[in-house]
Amino acid sequence: MTLRVGLVSFAHVHASGVASALRGLEQVEFVGIYDDDAERGRAAAATHGVPLHKTLDSLLERCEAVILASTNADHRTYTEAAASRGVHVLSEKPLATTLADAHAMIDVCAAARVQLGVAFPVRSSPAVIALREAIAAGQLGPIRAVRATNPGQYPGRWFGDKKAAGGGAAMDHTVHAADAIRWLLGDEVARVHAELGSFTYGLDVEDTGILTLDLASGGFASIDCSWSRPTTFPTWGGVTFHVVGELATVDVDVFRQALMHYDDAAGKTRLVGWGDDLTSRMIGDFVDAILAGRPVPIDGTAGLRALEVALAAYRSAETKRPVDIAELRA
Amino acid sequence: MTLRVGILGAGFAGAMHARSAHGLDGVAVTAVAAATPEEAAPVAEETGARIISDAAALCASTDVDLVVVATPTYLHAEHAIAAARAGKHVFCEKPLARTLADAERIVRACDEAGVALAVGHVVRYFPEYQAAKRMLDDGTLGRASIATLTRGNFPVGSARPWYLDPAKSGGVVLDLMLHDLDTVRWWFGEPRRIYARHMRAESGGLEYALATIRYDDRPIVHIESSWAEHAGFRTGFELRAKNGMLVHDSRAVSPFVVQAPGGAQPAMMASPTLGESPYRRQLRDVLARVQRGERPLVDGREGLRTLALGLAVIESAESGRVVEWSAPA
Repeated sequence: MTLRVGLVSFAHVHASGVASALRGLEQVEFVGIYDDDAERGRAAAATHGVPLHKTLDSLLERCEAVILASTNADHRTYTEAAASRGVHVLSEKPLATTLADAHAMIDVCAAARVQLGVAFPVRSSPAVIALREAIAAGQLGPIRAVRATNPGQYPGRWFGDKKAAGGGAAMDHTVHAADAIRWLLGDEVARVHAELGSFTYGLDVEDTGILTLDLASGGFASIDCSWSRPTTFPTWGGVTFHVVGELATVDVDVFRQALMHYDDAAGKTRLVGWGDDLTSRMIGDFVDAILAGRPVPIDGTAGLRALEVALAAYRSAETKRPVDIAELRA
Repeated sequence: MTLRVGILGAGFAGAMHARSAHGLDGVAVTAVAAATPEEAAPVAEETGARIISDAAALCASTDVDLVVVATPTYLHAEHAIAAARAGKHVFCEKPLARTLADAERIVRACDEAGVALAVGHVVRYFPEYQAAKRMLDDGTLGRASIATLTRGNFPVGSARPWYLDPAKSGGVVLDLMLHDLDTVRWWFGEPRRIYARHMRAESGGLEYALATIRYDDRPIVHIESSWAEHAGFRTGFELRAKNGMLVHDSRAVSPFVVQAPGGAQPAMMASPTLGESPYRRQLRDVLARVQRGERPLVDGREGLRTLALGLAVIESAESGRVVEWSAPA
């Protein structure tokens, strides 16, 4: 059994990886691409050898599910269009740029009886899954603290545009780590402190940030969400978790599985990852759930919770005090 | 003229300082006092120092010019002040004291006695941290935007119970994080505000703290300090600045690795990582400055300011609030 899946927009840096994953998954029929930037869409369709649809409707008519790789601010519009045609949605992260948009997306999908998923590929890492199982089995004892890092290079494009992206590094990277912490610990974020700064790229949005989270269980965590990796760094960035339990301390480095390539031809040194393709695993799990009629593994509420952490970080940086998540909901 | 050194305390720090001083040109370790004579015996044997029954007697000894205070943190004030009042120069292990009031008393006592006071912030003598300082100062790196520093050890309280009592030791913040707080002051100057989180397990000596320290404009600093590194001591930092990034990981830089059957390391193969250990570099510099009548690199006031920053971290962690920083004069 296969699912007909389309891809909306190549605005996001992850779009190309998503397209490659869609081509490789045997349970997926990759029916094509729609892009509001026609030139970008043509190039992507040619690269991946799939049809380019001139209108969103044309793509949605042929799909059972779409993956959104547009700017963050456009997720809501595309989700509403898909839901109105009974098409399931897997949205790139962050789910949206405002709480109002995130709630609207969750509500419209529920009303249309389609599923809404969010792209948090960190949950598809075998190392992260092993950590979650070890925690659930009590092998680490009670978890007291987590230090998460998700530093990267500045992605460019619209990622530094406050309107299109909803913010800078804190919007881009916080959500991965915040979601993973919730999922690993089965916990909720109660309070957020953040120091943010725009230091390196002359952007209106922050490129540097450290968040500190108080968890509902009483534990705490920090997240380095900075676009701090220099252009000469051998890879785009990374994701790590340092987990302190009462019985054991665990380090997970999600992208550690890589060859160091000293590349004379390119005049640089770079890491060549050989670990599992997390995007492919994540999309496969989403598709399998839709085909089986099960709830998707990472739903809109998970996207909303992670977004709340990022938005609380902005309020904290602005007010220079820790911010309760409950304040955002009031 | 030979500088005669007395060692107070024969734990990890005391033994290290005794060993470091012993063999330095123009320096003699003449006396050692610890909680018990048995504890002092290995240091006495290695350095030729005589064992003295208690701290007061060591301070009163006529063959001691400088006292190394390496007793548990809460005793630093009593011992450093006794040494100063006996007219001895003082080299005090970090933290300078457990409380700011005690630190002030030590500084005042040394000033009044006209003796030198140096504080053992040894990271300033570690070449990897010095290299970063040099590259910050000479413009190679450009302005720093973010620095993350980490330092961990096994739960040391399991070996030395006084660490378990925060009233005596100040816990992982005053023991471990203080090194990185001092480093950050040395690299970047005085920060603007602090936010921190801390946990102490009910048993087992497990402690862990995270602090975020903001400077005016930049950089943002994040420090991790852990007594949950069961594999043992490690340090690391990442320093991102305008022109690039420095990365240090102590686990990745050992030039000498031994494997032997059964996991035991032959005792004779102590890891020879540097020609001169940072601890000996520190003492050599401190003692030379004292002999020349110069101020030590990390003097009492400098040690006091770093202690105050550590106490501000504790204040933030306990109150859950952002603490605005202004350094003591």
